[in-house]
Amino acid sequence: MNNLNSTSSSRRDFLQSSTLGLGWLAFSAIANGASSAGRNFPARAKRVIFLSMKGGPSHVDLFDYKPELIKADGKTTGLAEKFGGAPLVGPVHPFSQQGKSGLWMTDLMPHLAKHADDLCIVNSMQTDLPNHSPAFVQMHTGSFQFVRPSLGAWTVYGLGTENENLPGFITLNPPADNGGARNYGSAFLPSICQGTRVGGSQIPALYAAFLKKDQTPGPPMKNIENKNLSRQAQRAQLDLIRGLNRHKLKNDVYQPQIEGMIESFELAFRMQSEVPDALDLTAEFQSTLDLYGIGKGADAFARQCLLARRMAEAGVRFIEISSPVGWDHHSLIQENLAKNCQQTDQPIAALITDLKLRGMLDDTLVVWAGEFGRTPYMQGVNGRDHNHKGFSLWMAGGGVKGGMNYGSTDEIGYKAVENPMHIHDWHATILHLLGIDHKRLTYNYGGRNFRLTETSGEVATGILA
Amino acid sequence: MKSKLVSLSILGIFLTGFSNDDPASEDFFENRIRPVLVKHCYDCHSVESGKSKGGLRLDTRESTRSGGDTGAAVIPKNAEESLLLTAILHSDPDLEMPPKEPKLPENVIRDFEAWIEAGAFDPREAMASGAETDAAALQARLEFWSYQKPQKTEPPKTDSDWPVSTIDRFILARLAENDLTPSEDADERTFVRRLYFDLVGLPPTPEQVAGFSYANLEETVDQLLDSEGFGVRWGRHWLDVVRYAESNGREANIVYPHAWRYRDYVIDSINADVPYDQFLTEQIAGDLLPYDDEAQRARLLIATGFLAIGPKGLANQDKPQFAADLVDEQLDATSRAFLATSIACARCHDHKADPIAMTDYYALIGIFRSTKTYYGTWVDSENNNGGELIKLPDLPGQMKPGQSLSKERITKMKAQLAELNAQERKNKEMSASMMGGKKMKREDFNTALREALRIYWTRGGLRGKLAAVDDNGEPLPLCMGVQEAPKMKDSPLYYRGDLKNPGKEVARGVPALFGMVASPPSDQNQSGRLDFAHWVTDPENPLTARVMANRVWGHLFGEGLVRTMDNFGHTGEPPSHPELLDYLAINFRDNGWSLKSLVKEMVLSRAYRQSSTYRKKSFFKDPDNRLLWRANKRRLDAEVIRDSILSVSGRLDLSPRPASLAAEVTNHSVAILGFDKSIPTDLDGSNHRSIFLPVFRENLPDVLHLFDFAEPSLVVGDRDETNVPLQALYLMNSEFIAQQSAAFAERLMREENTREDRIRRAFQLCFNRPPDPEESKMISAYFADSTEVDEVTMATRFCQALLSSAEFRIAD
Repeated sequence: MNNLNSTSSSRRDFLQSSTLGLGWLAFSAIANGASSAGRNFPARAKRVIFLSMKGGPSHVDLFDYKPELIKADGKTTGLAEKFGGAPLVGPVHPFSQQGKSGLWMTDLMPHLAKHADDLCIVNSMQTDLPNHSPAFVQMHTGSFQFVRPSLGAWTVYGLGTENENLPGFITLNPPADNGGARNYGSAFLPSICQGTRVGGSQIPALYAAFLKKDQTPGPPMKNIENKNLSRQAQRAQLDLIRGLNRHKLKNDVYQPQIEGMIESFELAFRMQSEVPDALDLTAEFQSTLDLYGIGKGADAFARQCLLARRMAEAGVRFIEISSPVGWDHHSLIQENLAKNCQQTDQPIAALITDLKLRGMLDDTLVVWAGEFGRTPYMQGVNGRDHNHKGFSLWMAGGGVKGGMNYGSTDEIGYKAVENPMHIHDWHATILHLLGIDHKRLTYNYGGRNFRLTETSGEVATGILA
Repeated sequence: MKSKLVSLSILGIFLTGFSNDDPASEDFFENRIRPVLVKHCYDCHSVESGKSKGGLRLDTRESTRSGGDTGAAVIPKNAEESLLLTAILHSDPDLEMPPKEPKLPENVIRDFEAWIEAGAFDPREAMASGAETDAAALQARLEFWSYQKPQKTEPPKTDSDWPVSTIDRFILARLAENDLTPSEDADERTFVRRLYFDLVGLPPTPEQVAGFSYANLEETVDQLLDSEGFGVRWGRHWLDVVRYAESNGREANIVYPHAWRYRDYVIDSINADVPYDQFLTEQIAGDLLPYDDEAQRARLLIATGFLAIGPKGLANQDKPQFAADLVDEQLDATSRAFLATSIACARCHDHKADPIAMTDYYALIGIFRSTKTYYGTWVDSENNNGGELIKLPDLPGQMKPGQSLSKERITKMKAQLAELNAQERKNKEMSASMMGGKKMKREDFNTALREALRIYWTRGGLRGKLAAVDDNGEPLPLCMGVQEAPKMKDSPLYYRGDLKNPGKEVARGVPALFGMVASPPSDQNQSGRLDFAHWVTDPENPLTARVMANRVWGHLFGEGLVRTMDNFGHTGEPPSHPELLDYLAINFRDNGWSLKSLVKEMVLSRAYRQSSTYRKKSFFKDPDNRLLWRANKRRLDAEVIRDSILSVSGRLDLSPRPASLAAEVTNHSVAILGFDKSIPTDLDGSNHRSIFLPVFRENLPDVLHLFDFAEPSLVVGDRDETNVPLQALYLMNSEFIAQQSAAFAERLMREENTREDRIRRAFQLCFNRPPDPEESKMISAYFADSTEVDEVTMATRFCQALLSSAEFRIAD
């Protein structure tokens, strides 16, 4: 890692000239390949797997059990009055209690239900706006307004990487809309903290349909090998490129773009040896493939979940997987919610099982979250509208208590009332689980200290195991 | 219920934490009254919530006092008569507030009583008042900066000799206010490189650099503005904004083989400096404009392709829904691209942040519903919503790519069609007879259905292919676009956007948005599209000129004065220099809407000429460079990176590529392009400028995709900029870079005789400067270390290093 150390001299000068806060310590941790300098206290989680559910999954149908809402199903009076006459709708599929803990969950996720005792369901989430794009960006960066580093970037910044041959933050098939690259961007943090986007290329639709495969399979990785140069010759060539880049950097004094380019080349060079192995699923046992549902019909998401485990094993610090289906159910919610769950339930549950089998669930925080939830009242004839005032997500492993609900919404699931958890609080809690004090993980940019949680954020101590 | 008790007890703790007991004080109101109102009342009684139950709003002093349907909520110094107190005391069973919740704690009620008795001090100024809350809310939002007409401001005076233009005086004033100074002029080499990248998207040749000095700046700018390259570079900027693509995207991704005509229209219009108001009018309503000759008519029809090239859910089985989504996408793209406003948010509800009501949306939707969209594509197993194309007038020398069909083939296809029609009749008769008034057996039904689908899909392809040729089998000149629909149709307002839930009809026409006047179509037999175009380009429209001036600024300075280029609404950012933005907008509008003049004014400014050198003190004051104390260093756009590589390798073909790869593929679906072995896997393989590469949604050429090309399904005024190892891998290992490095090396070997000269020449071509001594040393060492390979191979590796370097991809 000495290359990173030396190429980043300009940043070091720059940082030294500002403040020697935790930011600097954390940065040198990255640069030196160490992995604990950013920690303020013992970490429960070493890494995060973030299952990003774009579109706003309906918490009142999935994880927020509300007997009053069931009773009020179809009513336009009483509790419904404040919604301008739109009828309330009870859960569109039944709920049951699961596990020893008796956690209420939808019946649509039978596989996940087996892990009920590992889940910490947060029922009192809140975010600032009920529109996809800003809410999605806020979920990822804390701010919907300004360009800020993403949660994954802050994590890598704080903890460095465990495997210097792979990016510290990998995002699989992220959506191009809803803020696009901002959701895995590094903003003003060193660009080595940025998420590396893997995937997005397509198998022809007809071909995919014919073979019963997904159009976007597991991540393709083009250009991962050089057919013309030996490794040694390529190293010599990269040394020249690095020399030229460093020279320019020296002349420019402060140029984060160039630092990023230098770091990218170094990482790319090392990735050539590591990535093919990390992406190669042929070494997996058939029983593992079966567990995830790989090889049965459309299995891209299953492959991604398995890849997440492989990357976690390989030392990637923050892994994000995007839902293969959107959860924005303005209409036909009953059918579409069932389809979505059918497509995601087994792979997600398999990931938890697999992590557990390998003894990794204890130090891997698995998070399932969408940008907001949905209304308890009906939209149109068979849908639900966006709801940012109260929604649910779950976390598992990595130091959270299992088999519990945290916080709650009002009697119909509309608004968080008990222990409301704003996105900032949620971010603070995740960082806490990683051993980081969200108030001390700062980066001095242009003379001002920035942090993920802006000026707020409270750790939800109630969920800590 | 437990939750409520918890929150109330928290509230109690919160309230007792304050010590000021004077109920007439501001502190008392702020700490004990307002929080309770916000927490327990605003949900149903405030502008913010959009609700005023019982006609009551409790979010301003005035509305609190005037009260609602049942009377005054608060009468100062008369607690007994104040209905608010009655309500929270639960003393009248018909008026218990907050509803269905336990009574507020006793101490809170006592606070209210004391507060009213002490005169009900209330600092909350009235916002817009009015009986109709929603109207009031919308009105309040109207006062937002971007909905006000641009104002002329006298440029600030200064004694400094730095400014050379009005722009500079605005910039300098803001810098001075913040104790900052502008940077010195960039050196001429750096500047001319920046200028070439910005205006034509290519690096200058060494000869062009040698010929440039600030003394002939204006002349150079004029030359560049007059060159074809200007339309290529700025045309691409426009194509980003209008979500240009050559396939429809989504689940069934079908090729648009005729979209390229619109692309060429854009390039040509920008090169001809068609006034921007006319440019927009043509794209919204070119088909309705008068024309002098057939060539002009063709051009105007092609312009409306803007409305046809959007993404569409062609697989949708629900045709009314498909039609509704299509017009929604048209309105959305139009309003975002031209007005940086999302009118389409009002499809399901009044806009949550901006002053746009559902009726505004449906009035505009009526215009698009009265329009027919010609987007081509035919029905097949993936596409349930085939469309038509517009036939262009025949013109001499017209390009007509596409497959010709032999006479025999046409005859055969027509016979096949007739056969299919016959089969269809038979299938229908058979089904009818089998039914015989009863329900069909399942297997019979399935057989009939399969047969019907086979006919439907096969016929779609035959009809589609036949429609593309004339009687002799020669390809017809076709384009995408719009025309007036056979019937004019106003749209009902659909509650929550749901087609099954129609409300009253909304008369189509332009709405009274942004201070503009509402009016129906000037001719009821027309859709009103032309009126809409005039409404968009009306000099009184506060957004159109500002939005475009800001886009242009963003492309030249690295960031818009309003950084959220496509969002001038409440969730966007305000401008850094509002007076400058207004100055630019007014000038643009009043001087013939000339894009070239606007660009010219900006690049001739001193502000644009600044060096990008880092200055510590300024950086700490303004790290984001919002006030422009230096030029922004910019990573080159994806297409500029590719074009620059081709340019220095000597392989760039500056001639426009005729038509497009999309027009040549025989396949209907993007999904099966991979099976056509004649198409390069990276969809490239040509050496024309990148604007001519195919833009298939979800399937972009690698180099564009990796270096942050605009997502072609979205209106993109400002591309992402990422810096990830995948880009490095492309530069290190891709086929394209290997080929171009070899071509570059071959060029050097041909042009220069010694290694030293070749290195010098390579630097001049790539960076417009010679290597400095330190660089020369590194390069000599590189060559010296690898003696086992021949000179050409080494030169190739060296060339790849230069093409991969940071400096190659950055405009300083």
